[in-house]
Amino acid sequence: MLSLTLKEAVHKLRDGSITAKDLCEKCIERLNKTQQLNAFITETVDISRDSAAETDKRRQKSKPMRWRKLEGLPIAVKDNFCTTGIRTSCATTMLQNYIPPYTATVVQRLQDEGAYLIGKTNMDEFAMGSGSVDGIHGPVRNPWKYKFTSSNTSEQTKPIEQVSMRNYHTSTDDWHIAGGSSGGSAAAVASGVCFGALGSDTGGSTRNPAAYCGVVGFKPTYGMLSRHGLVPLVNSMDVPALFSKTVDDASILFNVMAGHDVHDSTTVTDEFNHFTLPDNIDIKDLHIGIPKEYHAPGLSKDVHNAWEEAADMFEKAGAKVTQVSLPHTQYSILCYIVLNCCEVASNMARYDGIEFGHRAANEDSTEELYAATRHEGFNDVVRDRILAGNYFLLRQNYEKYFAKAMQVRRLISEDFKKVYASGVDILLTPTTLTTAPTYKWFTERDNRTSSEEQDIFTQPVNMAGVPAISVPSKLSTDGLPIGLQFIGQNFKDKELLTIAKWYEQQVQFKQLDLDYLDTVS
Amino acid sequence: MAASMQKISSHICQLCKRRYLTFKHKRSSSNLKSKPWKSVVGLEIHAQINTESKLFSGAENKFGGPTNTQVSLFDAAFPGTLPVLNKGCVEAGVLTALALRCTVNKVSKFDRKHYFYADLPAGYQITQQRQPLAVKGHVDYCISDKNSFETKTANITQIQLEQDSGKSLHDEKDRISLIDLNRCGTGLMEIVTEPDFSDGTDASAFVKELQKILQTIKTCDCKMEEGSLRVDANISVHKLGEPLGIRTEVKNLNSIKSVSKAISFEVKRQIELLENGGIVENETRSFDTEIDETVPMRDKEVKTDYRFMPEPNLPPLHLFDSESVKTVSSKMSVINIDDIQQKLPPLPEDTRKRLEQQYSLKRRDVAVLVDNSGLVDYFEDVMRLSPTTSAKLVSNFIINQLLGVLNDRKLTIYKCPVKTEDFGKLIDLLHTEEISYSTSCKVLDEMFEHPNIAPKDIVDQKDWRQISDTQILTNICEKVLEEHPKLISKYRKGKLKYLHTLVNKAVIDSNNKANPRILKQIMEDLLDNK
Amino acid sequence: MSLTKLTCRLWLQRVSRIKKGFCSKVPKTPIWEELDNTKIPNVPQIDQEMINHLERVSLVEFNNQAGIERLSKAIESANKLHMVNTDGIEPMESVLEDRMLYLREDKVTDGKCKQEVLSNAVKTIEDYFVAPPGNIPLKTKERDYGSNSNGS
Repeated sequence: MLSLTLKEAVHKLRDGSITAKDLCEKCIERLNKTQQLNAFITETVDISRDSAAETDKRRQKSKPMRWRKLEGLPIAVKDNFCTTGIRTSCATTMLQNYIPPYTATVVQRLQDEGAYLIGKTNMDEFAMGSGSVDGIHGPVRNPWKYKFTSSNTSEQTKPIEQVSMRNYHTSTDDWHIAGGSSGGSAAAVASGVCFGALGSDTGGSTRNPAAYCGVVGFKPTYGMLSRHGLVPLVNSMDVPALFSKTVDDASILFNVMAGHDVHDSTTVTDEFNHFTLPDNIDIKDLHIGIPKEYHAPGLSKDVHNAWEEAADMFEKAGAKVTQVSLPHTQYSILCYIVLNCCEVASNMARYDGIEFGHRAANEDSTEELYAATRHEGFNDVVRDRILAGNYFLLRQNYEKYFAKAMQVRRLISEDFKKVYASGVDILLTPTTLTTAPTYKWFTERDNRTSSEEQDIFTQPVNMAGVPAISVPSKLSTDGLPIGLQFIGQNFKDKELLTIAKWYEQQVQFKQLDLDYLDTVS
Repeated sequence: MAASMQKISSHICQLCKRRYLTFKHKRSSSNLKSKPWKSVVGLEIHAQINTESKLFSGAENKFGGPTNTQVSLFDAAFPGTLPVLNKGCVEAGVLTALALRCTVNKVSKFDRKHYFYADLPAGYQITQQRQPLAVKGHVDYCISDKNSFETKTANITQIQLEQDSGKSLHDEKDRISLIDLNRCGTGLMEIVTEPDFSDGTDASAFVKELQKILQTIKTCDCKMEEGSLRVDANISVHKLGEPLGIRTEVKNLNSIKSVSKAISFEVKRQIELLENGGIVENETRSFDTEIDETVPMRDKEVKTDYRFMPEPNLPPLHLFDSESVKTVSSKMSVINIDDIQQKLPPLPEDTRKRLEQQYSLKRRDVAVLVDNSGLVDYFEDVMRLSPTTSAKLVSNFIINQLLGVLNDRKLTIYKCPVKTEDFGKLIDLLHTEEISYSTSCKVLDEMFEHPNIAPKDIVDQKDWRQISDTQILTNICEKVLEEHPKLISKYRKGKLKYLHTLVNKAVIDSNNKANPRILKQIMEDLLDNK
Repeated sequence: MSLTKLTCRLWLQRVSRIKKGFCSKVPKTPIWEELDNTKIPNVPQIDQEMINHLERVSLVEFNNQAGIERLSKAIESANKLHMVNTDGIEPMESVLEDRMLYLREDKVTDGKCKQEVLSNAVKTIEDYFVAPPGNIPLKTKERDYGSNSNGS
């Protein structure tokens, strides 16, 4: 049952061939069996059961009720989306006990269409990172090639490795990271716990873990999905993003969530035209661009081959494929460092312990309280970015760094515009340099360096605001998934998804199958 | 610094052969005392926008609500909440900009200004530092007191929209601050002026005019006592001809009197400091109303770097005029500056100019009429009902008599029992010289007591009519002249004051009813012709 | 890259292309430019005054020398941006700069939720938030920035 796609599950729920209760119990069982992955911070099992029961009741009602689009569907939500009455921690001490009094718009829209929350997923602290290893609840483990041990699979309670805040990287287990910062959501979908999950994408935080975990990761155009209720990292780049098993699934979720929100002034006010993706797709008139700068130093042979095969596949099928140039690509990550740090410095200024969040015990003065609260509440990564950001924003540095970065941002955005104006419809690139690294390898470098390396292909997309999707293509020689990225034009999300679907139909990537865990007692 | 003497030269007198020394006064060690001091004042005025809801949230904007009940999650800076701009605030800002003759920027942007303070939950204030709503305006205003009257123009640098902060109540004993966020996020218009003011009187006159303008266009209720209009003053002094001095900022002046007193005190303090060899520090001060002095407000540290950054959650604000609005295809509501310009009511200066022209009144009188709320309407109503009456007399009588009586009885013009129609009739009586000026004052008093009795009736009842009949007055004059021949001869010898004595005697003989002007004329004629 | 190496590479590429009988558009080798390090501005020394200033405006501490070094590294990365010619380029603040900002009608639609607003505050007194006295600058602490202890 858990290997169904979202689309299939929704149909089966609608026609009654599976009950919501059965589906819910199966998901909860899988959740318990995959506790070691540490994909969840908060599990909302009771809510799930109640919602599933509610769905089954709806079907039995004599008066016909509107059968909602996602009725009875369990989804996971990254723990930086606010959910009323359910702890939203952003994997940080600062918000460890924060219970929001409101729900994020995109989550609400999913719930309004009958989906229910199975849990809040693990992530990097405040979404800062590319590995989902820097959160206070410990790292997320990639389900691919993970050696589940039977001793833990039957426990109902969460044996979360309570890694102390100051002592992350002590484990020497050899497993692969899930990617980040939305690693928990990616692992949840890949391991079959749920059929779709929400993540956020600021520099690749959804596409990166999607590639590592062998699932679809879709980042819509900036402005299509509301950020009301998403705890921000970089307001001018953050986008709520989706994980799913197929491109069709992503499209279904997207269509439920998209559209103007009066609470978010950065959502576009144009009317959203709902769409479904066609099944028969013709790519003969398609023009695909291969940006040459995306062959960056460090690109692994496996990923390069997958990229080449995909480009060749499109060409042989009749599409026009040309090599193009996005000349400022290699500067994007540097630009991102400046803009990211500056926004972080600003966005984190609200964490002082007065209205919400962690509050230190030092009451000598406001300044002392704030300093102590922030010292105790933030990890090194967050603090580093705040200090760097404030450095770049100092009066004497503003022009040199922040204004300069914004100028480079325009150049990057123009790169995309020029390429599309020349007739290219879609760009095809790798999503990441390599397949999922091991935890040991990843933690040998610090957070900033790893972000610099891991986000180079995904980051420029956020600069320009254009939509992008990572689709799993094949397995590497050592059995890990490789993701390829399609980048589209602003507000042409439907076109992007259509092409991605065609590609998915060609490669027929086999999802991870953890059904064997169900048989383990 | 007392001047000391310095020997210059010595010489021998040629006459007496003695040695003389000539001295020169040593110049004082600084020229400070010789040149006059000049003070320079610039103002930053924060006016709370008179809208139902706040600038970026839908929470209510009302004075004095119960603690923390007018606070949305955005106002309290809850993570994940975002600003949404209030159209009403923008319209109010544009209307104010037009009233202050500013250029409205078609595109303006929002910024974050960062600093930590307990009443600022987000750790930053959203304002418009780089590209504000409007720039480069001016305001004409008058400075007047009993002895002088001056019209001036102040230049406006810019007007920007920004958020107000919350309020903290400081409990010194328990060493805590209690924070109420009701005011947090309320829309403010910050009106920044050029340093055009010379002293406290000048600055406070400007603030008064600004209050009148904002109250006329209803974008701010300007209740300084409730904090809806607050003034910060930047003050420096320098010697004439020398560069500008270091300035201090005096914050949160919340009454016209405070504006005047605080600036005057600060100017004096700076001058004294400099004359005694001290240096003025670039610091922030507040005004202690108990002792009427400015006192240091913050710690003496270097000015904070606010690290301005563009507000990423608010794309630029586009405003349109009647031409450019045609290009807008979106169905979204847009703001058309020209439409708002049409809605601009007559401003105090417009009214002053109109009254000057329409009724040929002096600027000084017109200023008083406009200055006092309701007086212009009263005046114009009187003129409408009695169009032949002298406008000058009406305004004069309103200013010099009516206002005084209202004050004594602690009434406003709105509660004046004397109807404009009756007032007009009173002035008619005065104008036609049926009653004298002093009698008209008495009649006015009576009209306050008995508003239902027409002024003519009062005059009749009290028998206060002036005698203007020339024959009667001639008889009285002749009688006086017959009785006081000595006074006549004294007058004829050139002592003109005896004319007045004779006239006064005639007035007394007439039981104070004689028309003084005619009486005097007749007396003069009789004296000259006899 | 030397001429011989370049020629070899090109030849190999041509050979592989002929083998495939098909020209892939995906480049065979990395394209990124090597940055001329001499042209990148130097990272300024981060002195005690700057440390104090940054800590005061951030209300966050560096903690140790490693923290300061990480800042230097971040500045070093940012300095590479100066290799890009941005003359005459308008800074891009928002990708939605050409769109009209949505304006909300002036109506009371929010607030009146005192319980929710206070629900997450650790300390409240009679519906007020509570803060210690303000405007007192941080005490400058004795901190050892010479040691190289682990990031904590």
